[in-house]
Amino acid sequence: MKPFDFVQPATTDAAIAALAEHSPNVRILAGGTDYVVELKFVTESPGVVVDVSRLEDLKGIELTDAGLRIGAGVTHTEIMEHPLIAEHAPAMIDAAHTVGAVQTRNLGTLGGNLVTCVPSMDSGPTLMALDAQVTILGPNGTRSMDLVEFFVGVRKTALQPDELLLEIIIPKENLGKPAGFIKFGLRKGQALALVNAASSFTIEDGKFKDVRISLGAVAPVVIRATKAEAVLEGQAVSEELINEAAKVSVTEANPIDDFRASKEYRNDLIEVGTRRTLQAALDIANSRANG
Amino acid sequence: MTDITLIVNGEEKTASVPPETTLLKMLREDLNYTGAKLGCDVGDCGACTVLVDGMAVNACLMLAGQAEGKKIETIEGLSTLEEYHPIQKAFEDVAALQCGFCGPGMIMSTKALIDQGEDLTKQEIKDALSGNLCRCTGYTKIIEGVIDAYEEITGKKVPEENPRAA
Repeated sequence: MKPFDFVQPATTDAAIAALAEHSPNVRILAGGTDYVVELKFVTESPGVVVDVSRLEDLKGIELTDAGLRIGAGVTHTEIMEHPLIAEHAPAMIDAAHTVGAVQTRNLGTLGGNLVTCVPSMDSGPTLMALDAQVTILGPNGTRSMDLVEFFVGVRKTALQPDELLLEIIIPKENLGKPAGFIKFGLRKGQALALVNAASSFTIEDGKFKDVRISLGAVAPVVIRATKAEAVLEGQAVSEELINEAAKVSVTEANPIDDFRASKEYRNDLIEVGTRRTLQAALDIANSRANG
Repeated sequence: MTDITLIVNGEEKTASVPPETTLLKMLREDLNYTGAKLGCDVGDCGACTVLVDGMAVNACLMLAGQAEGKKIETIEGLSTLEEYHPIQKAFEDVAALQCGFCGPGMIMSTKALIDQGEDLTKQEIKDALSGNLCRCTGYTKIIEGVIDAYEEITGKKVPEENPRAA
């Protein structure tokens, strides 16, 4: 690793001050599962590394007036084990479980996964399917945006160099919303996603409502498959229509063709993934209606 | 250089290291705990697995500064000259290891898993060890060793698996 200065601020305000002081030659370190690897390969020093892994303001999972608040510094393991996630957003557990392995889930954070913004991130689709919002702290206070706007490009988010991702919020109205997540990799453990998919909807008067379909690893950033959503929205619930939406979702993606999998195979996975996650959401909705 | 203090296997240890030092490098090169191995150095192989505040982590992915003041458990803390830890004993009894390079990581991941106190299935054991790679193709014996250690330590039984499942 190239030498760098290491700063461990005690508060988020101190972290913001450190970012402002050293910008643009400054980087944020949280769980390190991605950034420490990057540090081993960079040819130039990043300048200053600001360690946010101990900031209390980035920790914690709790219900607030806005919904379910998850601190950006919460680890994937904490998500998997937290009762509020199990109760209000269980699809997030499935997504967290597919991240790396135990050791990386114990270190890696939800915020880090989003900020790193690689196309194959496992946290994005489920959060997007639940209309998650992010809160960003900067020198002038906080600002909020929808997660879908936060992702800008490969390894590029709306975060400015002097800003810090503070928390992720699942809006109150979406707590407990039926949702499904699936990841396709080359093997069960420690695999990069070939395709990630997540879907959610509610059923009102026998019709699909608030349909969300989100796909990962199929475009530069995690996307919403809005045409496929429109196939279902407001229509009477049927499995045929789910199959139709799954087919349409393929047209909205543009997966890569590489040594891991061909574009054709990835397109097949998109259809299967959309269908299975919609079906999973339907199963949850049905089991609630019947029980 | 910064003074970093760790509680390694119950003992307070301090070394002066530059910021770009990983926990693994500090343990191995500054404190002479060479049980944790440098394998892939990118968090894939798990040979560097140690427990930090009871959690299994890749010591190659954590900066020493991030571990300041934390409780670190390494393979050196498990056995005495007189007696193996039950996990090590179980691994020896089933001949779980061939070359042994993955062993310290496998055993520390196993310790973190058993220490959680949950009832375990074979699938959960496999899942918990998915971040530890063995290149001698020895997973079958390693899983057997983990099951034996779990049953010995907790007095519980791992349920028989339907061979057609999984």
